[in-house]
Amino acid sequence: MIRTVLAALLMGAGLFVLAVATLGIFRFRYVLNRIHVAAKCDTLGAMLFLSGLAVLEGFSFAAFKLILIIIFLWFTNPVASHLVTRVEFQTAAELEHECEVIRDRKEGGAGQ
Amino acid sequence: MELNPVEIRLLRRFRKMYMVTAFLVSLAMTAVLLLTVFNLPAFGKAGNPAENEVIGRYIEKGLEETGAVNIVAAVILDYRAFDTLGETLVLFTALVAVLMLLKDEAGVFNRRYRERSKFEPEKDQIFRSVAGMLIPCLLVFSIYIIVNGHLSAGGGFAGGAILGATLVLYNIAYGLEKARGFINEKNFLRFITAALLFYSVVKGYSFFTGGNHLPSVIPLGFPGSIFSGGLILPLNITVGIVVACVVYGAFCLFNRGGL
Repeated sequence: MIRTVLAALLMGAGLFVLAVATLGIFRFRYVLNRIHVAAKCDTLGAMLFLSGLAVLEGFSFAAFKLILIIIFLWFTNPVASHLVTRVEFQTAAELEHECEVIRDRKEGGAGQ
Repeated sequence: MELNPVEIRLLRRFRKMYMVTAFLVSLAMTAVLLLTVFNLPAFGKAGNPAENEVIGRYIEKGLEETGAVNIVAAVILDYRAFDTLGETLVLFTALVAVLMLLKDEAGVFNRRYRERSKFEPEKDQIFRSVAGMLIPCLLVFSIYIIVNGHLSAGGGFAGGAILGATLVLYNIAYGLEKARGFINEKNFLRFITAALLFYSVVKGYSFFTGGNHLPSVIPLGFPGSIFSGGLILPLNITVGIVVACVVYGAFCLFNRGGL
């Protein structure tokens, strides 16, 4: 009983975060803002939802697989967002108009 | 080209008629398709054309005749192995077409690649370390899916796609020069043709023996163990090799015009 309630709470929180992410992608105008909301909320929302499923499943092999999926997502999703952001940072012609830019001292320009 | 007013009026009328005709044609097409859908036999009803003795035979005799626990693998790689050979050849033909069209003889792709090479993700330390952690796991996972194709869900197509994606990830993370260390154009073509030739030879004998080629000289083994199911395991491996090579080759050709 308490497990079901906990799982429902986790899954509801995950759905809420994913809904916020979707809203943010449509509301924000600039790509870095969109990446910001999409990456963070996707990572957190997927984690909450999948851990809700794992709690519902209890101690079993399926729950272990779900945790593996969470680990995989936490590895890959931030890195994918990081790469998109990096390309935007390197190639955007008018980045200063969109946000405050702190240039790297080593590179002196578009860099790591 | 100069157009006189009569021609312009005719063209306008033609465009209007064209829109109307296109609308009517697509409406008629939609109506025909919807009618077909509504007249389809109900899903799962007894006596449907799809329900005949073939399904029962697969379910009842599949394990006994092919030795594969996974009936889907038994169907696609034993009963209907020629279909799968055709699908694999379709992939191979697509790759050959891409190779013919995009093979970079003049070095145009390469020059463009060098121009944008500082934006390539292979310069990114975070991506490289994460890829270095993920690639071994993905390799093991894809090989597991391919080799376990006759025991669980998956098989050559799914596992080959994962293997190809892993190779693509390696290529993106460490660069083409490093990826050439284990898969260059020469051994790439060798892999893919050897896999297809093996498949054709192994399944082609029924052309000469004639008819139902289910009785095989290869022992079926104990159902559920890795070495069971006769030819299904090697065929899964060849299909996996072909799919992985096609995915990786198409990526490389579109990215840099060469392997």
